[in-house]
Amino acid sequence: MDRPNHLSVVVDLSPSQWYLCGQPSNAHPLPLAAFLSQLLAFLNAHIACNDENTLSVYGALPGRSALLYSSASAELSELTDPADSNTYRQFKILDSTMMKSMSEQVDALSDLEEESPIGLVGSLTKSLCYINRVTNVSTSSTTTVGSDEPTIRPDPRILIISVSPDEAASYIPVMNSIFSAQKLKVTIDVCKIYGPESVFLQQAAHLTGGSYIFLDRPDALLQYLTMTFLPPPALRQLISVPTQDKVDFRAACFCHKNIVDIGFVCSVCLSIFCQPVPVCSTCRTKFPIKTLQRLNASKPALAPARSTAPVPSPSPANSLPRSQAIGLPRTTSMGNGISASPGRNGASTR
Amino acid sequence: MPPRRIGNDYESDSEGSMFGDIDTSRTKKGKGKAVDRTKSAKAKGKAKEQPYAWEATYTRSWDTVQEDETGSLQGAVQDLIARGRRRRLLAPAAAIRRTIIRHLVLVLDLSTSMMDRDMRPTRFDLMLQYAREFVNEWFDQNPLGQIGVVGMRGGVGERIGEMSGNPQHVLKHIAERHKLEPGGDPSLQNAIEMARSSMSHLPTHSSREIVVIFGSLTTCDPGNVHDTLDECVKDKIRISIVALAAEMKICRDLCDKTGGTFGVAMNEGHFKDLLFELIPPPAQRAIARTTGTGVGNPAADLMMMGFPTRLPNTSPPSLCVCHSQLKSEGFLCPRCMAKVCDVPTDCDICGLMIVSSPHLARSYHHLFPVKPYHPVKTLEDAPHLENKCHACATAFPESPPPVTAATEGMSPLGRYRCPDCHYDFCAECDVFVHEVVHCCPGCGK
Repeated sequence: MDRPNHLSVVVDLSPSQWYLCGQPSNAHPLPLAAFLSQLLAFLNAHIACNDENTLSVYGALPGRSALLYSSASAELSELTDPADSNTYRQFKILDSTMMKSMSEQVDALSDLEEESPIGLVGSLTKSLCYINRVTNVSTSSTTTVGSDEPTIRPDPRILIISVSPDEAASYIPVMNSIFSAQKLKVTIDVCKIYGPESVFLQQAAHLTGGSYIFLDRPDALLQYLTMTFLPPPALRQLISVPTQDKVDFRAACFCHKNIVDIGFVCSVCLSIFCQPVPVCSTCRTKFPIKTLQRLNASKPALAPARSTAPVPSPSPANSLPRSQAIGLPRTTSMGNGISASPGRNGASTR
Repeated sequence: MPPRRIGNDYESDSEGSMFGDIDTSRTKKGKGKAVDRTKSAKAKGKAKEQPYAWEATYTRSWDTVQEDETGSLQGAVQDLIARGRRRRLLAPAAAIRRTIIRHLVLVLDLSTSMMDRDMRPTRFDLMLQYAREFVNEWFDQNPLGQIGVVGMRGGVGERIGEMSGNPQHVLKHIAERHKLEPGGDPSLQNAIEMARSSMSHLPTHSSREIVVIFGSLTTCDPGNVHDTLDECVKDKIRISIVALAAEMKICRDLCDKTGGTFGVAMNEGHFKDLLFELIPPPAQRAIARTTGTGVGNPAADLMMMGFPTRLPNTSPPSLCVCHSQLKSEGFLCPRCMAKVCDVPTDCDICGLMIVSSPHLARSYHHLFPVKPYHPVKTLEDAPHLENKCHACATAFPESPPPVTAATEGMSPLGRYRCPDCHYDFCAECDVFVHEVVHCCPGCGK
């Protein structure tokens, strides 16, 4: 932990999901207040690890995203509160700034906005822009000062704390953010506290070499955070952090924003559709009628049922049982499909 | 054909002339004529007014540099950098129909002329280094493409690497320098024929391209190279050439007639720029659309693909269907749940094409580009007036700088506004969003 590193935290602040998460009917409820105190303890631990560690926190709110705290702005701002003799000053600044900006953002939410999709993409791209600036500035300043000193880049990473289900409409932007994170060599960690498994965030963690953790005990959040997400990626090779048990590579189709595991792909532009279409909606390519007939014949019987919901509705598409897709009538080409390999059924039920 | 020495001279001092005295233009013109004897008379007439395009680009660029009130040049230099970055963004973002499944043969010149030292350390070493970077970047942007490598040496074409979709395989072929030691003369015809034959079996919906890095000023061909050119036009093979010495008529013809690009590298940086301009997928030719109005592109097809689930190496081991080996990691076919070792592949049980969806998603930013941001001229009529960049939270300059050398596409306030969400971004984030992220932080799409 010699080298300073940068951590960007994206906090999902969806009011409805946090309400559900805190319900006492859950096995291990985690109300927002308890979550925040554990999160702040983790953030304090991060800045305490190294004097030069930097931090930025983004809030993903319904329909928007906001910067809640950043080390760069904290240095400039004058804290008006009187000094607290029992608290380390940096912690004090961090905690009060976080709480202040968070309550400002939540108060600013109107009733209409509460139902709009969460601004995860916005906060993710903002944190990437921030990291881009932080890394760029550090290289340019060292070159002007003198090149004899090795460039110390704050080793950047992003931690996404998510409670909301996947937003299928944001598939392409999320994937674009993942690829830019790969380009910047940014590790994306995902901590899923509540809600169904997130397909996109699984892929994000897998592609950038981070960890995706679905919490079994949300009330023990702080332990997960400190044991898994506090050490920087360079150190994680030496300690054993929990790994992802499987990665779901499903994608969202372009036509109805369903999350599909078998799709129909245009050979020109690679657009994904959940059912055979005569004309590609993206590049206006017309497909031969023979292919359509062939694909319609072999199409899974489930597809028409999906297409009846043109409005993107993430939760039903998400919870689409995979077993349903497996139990479909076999196409002619498959012949001796399942019975040939008994070992797989065990894997599929997990 | 001019003697090679002259070509090299003018190559090596081209960099100097960029920043050198203004008066060199006359002597340069004379040299240019000596070199470009192969050029047509029309080109020469044009050359009288403006001998080289790059001279025009850099002419009197120092005039635009102005000191600020403290006598520092820093502001002006940053301004120039920002302008250069933004220029790339101003290119039209309309062409949506691009070829995504690409096949490319990289033809490397391995003749003795590659040992010239006008580019450091030698043309050959620099070419190898850039070729490796090119392959990496190319696969990054064209994940479904394939690259083959052909060398030109000793008057023949030499197959260095077969067509492969794996960047590691391609890199391995061009990794060993001693196997590629330059020698003899290059033969454009032999190399292009070899590249053409290796692409003849490909399906018609993929693009076929040849990229030649050419350092020589001669080509030693067994037959008529123009016949080869006609064959390439017939096969719809696009040839692009990056020349390291000077322009040759045959090279220009090869590129122009097949729809490729031709460029002569002025210096190391320009060489890289020319090469890397060939990386983004080319817009598909309009011929396909005009010929069959009802049918559209006959090669286009709808493909059924499955997106697998990846099992980690900690899962309980089971037999894979491709090698019948007991393994923990693997991918599950979404239709029949068979376990295969690698993607992309066709499922051995049900025949479904299994691809990793991130592979497909890598090319989507070409389909849905971010709208270019508009430079903000005044602070009025702003829906959200923030004093910080919406993306990276850097503060904007308080007041507009006194020297308003703002040209087209530059904002004197350093603000660039998204046409959709009307948030303001700084110049750095503007470039970063459009070149890397491909997603506007304000609108989230």
